[in-house]
Amino acid sequence: MSGPRNAEDRLRRLLVMLPWLMEVGEAPLADVARRFEMTESQVQSDLELVAMCGLPPFVDEMVDVFVDDGIVFVGIPRLFTRPLRLTAPEAFSLLTSARTAMELPGADAAGALGRGLAKLAAVLADAGLATTGGGEVDDTASVVVDLARPEFADDLAEAAASGTELEISYYSPARAEITRRSIVPRHVYADVGNWYVSADDDRSQSRRTFRVDRIESITATGRTVDVEATTSPGRFFEDVDVDRATIRVSPDARWVLDQYPIDSVVELADGWAEARLPVSSDRWMAKLLIRLGPDAVLIEPAGESPAAAIAQRVLDGYGRAGPQRT
Amino acid sequence: MVDRIERLTNLLALLLETTRPLSLVEIAGDLDGQYPDADKARRASFERDKSALRDIGVPIETEIVGGGPFAGQTTYRIDRRAYELADLDLTPDEMRALQVAVAAVRSDPGKEAIWKLGGALGDERPPVSAMIPERPELPAIRAAVAARASIEFGYRGEQRTLDPWGLLLRGGFWYVTGHDHARGERRTFRVDRFEGGADGVGTGDPGSFERPPSFDPRTAFPADPKQIGYVADESIDALVRIDALRAVAIERELGADRVVERNDDGSILVSVPAGNLAAFRSWVLGLLDHAVVESPPELREHLIEWLTAVVDGAPGSVRR
Repeated sequence: MSGPRNAEDRLRRLLVMLPWLMEVGEAPLADVARRFEMTESQVQSDLELVAMCGLPPFVDEMVDVFVDDGIVFVGIPRLFTRPLRLTAPEAFSLLTSARTAMELPGADAAGALGRGLAKLAAVLADAGLATTGGGEVDDTASVVVDLARPEFADDLAEAAASGTELEISYYSPARAEITRRSIVPRHVYADVGNWYVSADDDRSQSRRTFRVDRIESITATGRTVDVEATTSPGRFFEDVDVDRATIRVSPDARWVLDQYPIDSVVELADGWAEARLPVSSDRWMAKLLIRLGPDAVLIEPAGESPAAAIAQRVLDGYGRAGPQRT
Repeated sequence: MVDRIERLTNLLALLLETTRPLSLVEIAGDLDGQYPDADKARRASFERDKSALRDIGVPIETEIVGGGPFAGQTTYRIDRRAYELADLDLTPDEMRALQVAVAAVRSDPGKEAIWKLGGALGDERPPVSAMIPERPELPAIRAAVAARASIEFGYRGEQRTLDPWGLLLRGGFWYVTGHDHARGERRTFRVDRFEGGADGVGTGDPGSFERPPSFDPRTAFPADPKQIGYVADESIDALVRIDALRAVAIERELGADRVVERNDDGSILVSVPAGNLAAFRSWVLGLLDHAVVESPPELREHLIEWLTAVVDGAPGSVRR
């Protein structure tokens, strides 16, 4: 946890920490802190505080817990021996996490995850997410997670788990060319409808992110390296250095506001809107403007739209000369 | 005055331990000196504590005293059975599988749930992950699907009533499909376009509809997300030439049975549904100069006109 902690957050954390401590009896302070994502001094001060709580006739002995020499000890458990039931958002998140994991490469529906998911029926009912009959958890039609995994996602995940180097051919839309390169996949992830692989790329000698659906072929090079546990990188558009553009979109093109990360939107007359958004490359912006055609107007950067020249090239493919530019 | 967290813990303990519901006067008496003496300030502090406990999920029951000298007073208690999490008897490998699942989705509420179940995310770093949007409306919709209760919500400035049949996450967005009362037919809505957040979703009586037995949100979903709320006309097919650079990827996207011609230069001719003009145009233009529409002629003309408008920089000049 970061930043100042309010009483609600501290109590919520205590109510999951105390039952766990009572179960294990004693635990190193450092382990407790790491497990519940707090600092050791936060754990210590919260436990000391709760140990002073009490009601007559049990003043000071309601929660029998103390910290000595870096170890947390628990005496006779009286209260808070069981955790609080799941809230509806917690239960829903657990369910969708399990459903999502079933859609990831390497999932084993009949295995431990499937069995664990089946046992969630009771907590879902308690959290108000299912009828008390309980059988709802297997009712897969109620919540479906469809990640539409592309062909190579499984091979890439396998390579990340085993440290296998791959040679890929990759279509780069920024340069409109196919390159061959050797990569070591580190992390495969799905985000807003697309799949990505974060990999060590020999060509750029750096860690790069590739769109899985733009990988056209893969072969193992035969080389393996150490596996490195890593998480997905941040999203490019959160980077403040990425250029911004301002466009106006018609009511028919408002899907742009949902589809892409947007910094800000100003509503205009007749259902039009003016949006400021990060631009990954001129070519990307040009493509967006061409797709939107008359439904969009580029406001910033001012000057000639990068779309005109590229639209002319597309038009050339139709064997038609466009109007003469002056 | 004691620390607020101490008072909250004491209040929680008192309401869990009590054998009968307690009034605020009794609570303040038991928690001697922890609440202000003045009636108004005491009530305000207690209400703040009560809603703090409810926010973290503590089920506080209220009861109005029926008779006697305290008739009309509100009393409070916590039912321990409603408070405590049921024991799921998860085996270690089941617990671990759920931990990995939550780590792969990196959901904060999911992490709280794992903690409550006695697990921890620790150093789980699965090589695969997925970012799943969390929407405050989802638990209420899921509950309504399970209870077969109608929901009411604001959508594009209009109040809708829907018998929700199921939720689908596709393309990074959550959708709910069901029977729309006003339209009298099946409709799909994007959950992040609901207006009013979690409080904006009203839920009707349970058991008020039956879901079609063969319902599957995947097949019920409109073919193109931009068509949500409309009926697709898939009867028109267009022929599109794809150059060698994109041919492999497009064939994989569409399937080999859509390829009607293969050329020595590596380019292919594919047949693509074009019934939804906006969706088709967006797809073909997304391929830029790697794709050219060959037929039907009117579609080819439309694209030429469209591109010409972009070259001219003259918005609003294209016929629809």
